[in-house]
Amino acid sequence: MNIRFIAIIKKEFLHIARDFRSLVIIIVLPLAMIFIYGHAVKLDISEITLGVLDRSNSSESRELVNHFINTGDFVLNAAIHDNDEIPRLFKNRKIKAALVIPSDFSESLVSNRTTGVQMIIDGSNSNTGTVIKNYTNMIVSSYSSYRAIAGMATPFTVEPRIWYNPDLDSANFIIPGLVAVILMMISALLTSITIVREKESGTMEQILVSPVRPLEIIFGKVLPYVLLAFIDGVIIVAAARFGFGVEISGSIIMLALLSIVYLYACLSIGLFISTRVQTQQVAMMLALVITILPSIILSGFMFPIRSMPIALRYLSHIVPAKYFLVIIRGIILKGNGFAQLWPQTLFLLILGTLLLAASVKRFKLRLE
Amino acid sequence: MRRIFFIIQKEFRQVFRDKPMLAILFIMPLIQLIILGYAITTDIRNISMLVSDYDNSTQSRELIQKFRNSGYFIISGNELDRGEVRKRLDHSEVSIAVTIPHNFAADIRRKQQPQIQILADGVDSNSSLVAVGYATEILRSFLKERLHENLMSNPALAKRVHSIDPKIRIWYNPNLEATHYMVPGIIVLLLTIVTTMLTALGLVREKEIGTLEQLMVTPIQSQQLIIGKTVPFAILGFFEISFAILVARIYYGIHIEGNLAVLALFAFIFVFTTLGLGIFISTASKTQQQAMFMAWFMIIFAILMSGFLFPIENMPKVLQYMTYINPVRYFITTVRELFLKGSGLAHLWPQGLTMLCFSLVIMTMSAIRFQKRIK
Repeated sequence: MNIRFIAIIKKEFLHIARDFRSLVIIIVLPLAMIFIYGHAVKLDISEITLGVLDRSNSSESRELVNHFINTGDFVLNAAIHDNDEIPRLFKNRKIKAALVIPSDFSESLVSNRTTGVQMIIDGSNSNTGTVIKNYTNMIVSSYSSYRAIAGMATPFTVEPRIWYNPDLDSANFIIPGLVAVILMMISALLTSITIVREKESGTMEQILVSPVRPLEIIFGKVLPYVLLAFIDGVIIVAAARFGFGVEISGSIIMLALLSIVYLYACLSIGLFISTRVQTQQVAMMLALVITILPSIILSGFMFPIRSMPIALRYLSHIVPAKYFLVIIRGIILKGNGFAQLWPQTLFLLILGTLLLAASVKRFKLRLE
Repeated sequence: MRRIFFIIQKEFRQVFRDKPMLAILFIMPLIQLIILGYAITTDIRNISMLVSDYDNSTQSRELIQKFRNSGYFIISGNELDRGEVRKRLDHSEVSIAVTIPHNFAADIRRKQQPQIQILADGVDSNSSLVAVGYATEILRSFLKERLHENLMSNPALAKRVHSIDPKIRIWYNPNLEATHYMVPGIIVLLLTIVTTMLTALGLVREKEIGTLEQLMVTPIQSQQLIIGKTVPFAILGFFEISFAILVARIYYGIHIEGNLAVLALFAFIFVFTTLGLGIFISTASKTQQQAMFMAWFMIIFAILMSGFLFPIENMPKVLQYMTYINPVRYFITTVRELFLKGSGLAHLWPQGLTMLCFSLVIMTMSAIRFQKRIK
């Protein structure tokens, strides 16, 4: 390594170190995100607020309501006296579902006639709505069979066993995924901006007339951010391990090595953007649309890719974060080694190299 | 008044001359609406399932057929070697494995409890929870049918088995479509991001390039400068959401159930908060990079804590209380209620009032801070 190269790295480091606020954000952002994602992200539904309009008011109807409450998924929030109250309760968000039990409920059950109960569900949140619908079917049918075959043993046993994440703790799933998102945010966004800033403020020309070679400029500007992103990665993994008790089943060295491969791909994207735009605003918006959003949405970070429409499933194949998610979850949760992860690694290497080559070529062209 | 007008004019010219920026401003909502609208789904489908059918009877094959027909599972093979099952779970080739023991059919005939094992890859906790739930439900209904056949031999019991018929009615979103829930949220997201970012970056850019000093020596007063610099972005933000509402209507067929004027009123109240936030960020940063970082930081948290993706009721109590000081929380609630339930001012005024308070406080504080910084 020669002196010019080191000088650029030093300059970039000084830039970062002097910008104390940004530095704080770079360090605090991942910690705060871990905290929120680790605690707040629960897509499973519990405590569904239920209103009951019990026209029967019999021991049978109360038994049915108790069946709902005893599952632990429903909370009785309102006793309704009139159908007209239901829309108001929905609009005030007091209840999510209303159970209407007809007046002949008890008589029908006692005389073995089929009777109907009505469940009105606030479907505005489709996710919650679906869950309530399924729960209702399950609970009502279990109540029917409970009455029919009281005392009979459950007709069968199922033993579900969950591997790799036995308690189905969402932190185990989300936090490793967060590494992929944050590394992308820091590396792609920062690199694209740092080079464009020199362009915008006119200092790029000054650097260009100096004897530094284009490749030296690029690498010199990029390396400090690699280091920063890497530190962020270490912070997140450490917080996951010590804060949330996520055990790393695979090799840490392997994780570090493959993270560097991922960083290489992220930085190449950042560089690619920076050689094509003129202002920081545009660089930032582009980085947002083509790196950060796909890393969160199309990577399988939170939303299952296999449930998406076919076009988006194809699109997800070019999202680097998708491959890194397989790598990091594989290493941390399943203890996978290189034998299982080489295809993902190869893809990241190829993508990074292609984009880097394109950026360097473009950069040289602009010089001439 | 004329001075304000001149600044607004200058600002608009700047925006319209920056062609790439303009393109992004209009392509971004399209991409977000289309990709986010489809991609954010928590439905689980196409779960790859491996079966180990040791029984190989009519009953067991019928059960497998039931899994296949449910639409949730894709059966990727029948594997009797335990080691191979483990390997395929390890490689993430399959996410769930069901073992049917060799005496399955015999147990059903003898009315004994057949033991069925479900193995699931728990890495994606939400998906596996749902997948195991579906699998258990399919098994349960399969065995219930068999039990039912047995019960039918006893007419007294048979009558009572399906005695209650649940009638489920779903209001506001009868097909439970995720897009109808997500798209109004995305509209809020767009308005928040565009107005906060553009205001913050627009003001800081003048600082960074040094043109803010030039503006300061002109007879423009700082209030006029603030108004002149924010009004264009507010207008752009309104364009952006009108465009998004149009896309929602044409592309997704999502109509606003409530009153458009009420929506406009709430957006108007809310936009003061984001503009104020933009001004605040600009006073606290020297470079566009800093401003962008800070804006990002705040927006990410505001969105995570707004109930946009993750239901607030599911959060721990401490975080739930924190969401009360998040203006985006109130706006997202009102927009969703307006779009889906058609709630009016009668139900939404508490949210509106809270947002108004936030707007006044944040705008005033930021404007004061801006004036101080300039002097």
